[in-house]
Amino acid sequence: MPVNIEVFSAPGCNSCGQAKKVIRKLVEQMGDDRLQWREVNVVAELDYAVELGILSTPAIAINGELIFTGLPSEKKLHAELLKQLETGL
Amino acid sequence: MAGIMKSNSSTLYRISDVSKLLGLSADTLRYYEKISLLPKIQRSTGGIRLYGDSDLSRLRFIRRAQTMNFTLAEIGDLLKMREDPQHARDSVRELTRIKLAAVKQQLADLDTLRKELQLLVNLCTGSKDGCPIIDGIDGEKS
Repeated sequence: MPVNIEVFSAPGCNSCGQAKKVIRKLVEQMGDDRLQWREVNVVAELDYAVELGILSTPAIAINGELIFTGLPSEKKLHAELLKQLETGL
Repeated sequence: MAGIMKSNSSTLYRISDVSKLLGLSADTLRYYEKISLLPKIQRSTGGIRLYGDSDLSRLRFIRRAQTMNFTLAEIGDLLKMREDPQHARDSVRELTRIKLAAVKQQLADLDTLRKELQLLVNLCTGSKDGCPIIDGIDGEKS
């Protein structure tokens, strides 16, 4: 089962573009057969965002669980994705 | 407050005072008494209705129950439970349980709405390029 990453963004969010850029890069590096990602517009999916406990953007959920609020460093995100891949083995 | 009368240690209120305090019309107050949602209200020697604190408490309960869209008949049953919970009929106990579940559901829905609005407010205050609340509304219109 691939790890499912969701990047929560909103119109006018200054750091969301950077969050998506980092995720896109890591997915390419680590293998898109093992990692899947999608962008979630919180305004369009407000109830889902609230269900996960999101209070600001960007935010990153992995396998349906809110992991990062704000923009994490590439290093932290990489480490978390590695952990998730190992857990899923 | 004008019109509030004291009787021994308790405060008594004229119908106009109750109307102002609770936002219920005098006609509504008289109607509640007529259909026994309120007990017979005590009168002054001049025949003026004088409401006590327990009447006001009961009226606040009625008003809250109405915001939950309970019918007057249901509210009447809940008031019986409120008066004497130990000796309430099984049907009244069951109604109370059902209404409690409805209130809990309403609270859960309100909590979700509160979080949604909080998120939108956070997005608005954190954005330099515009407000997603307005963008969202515009998106729904188009």
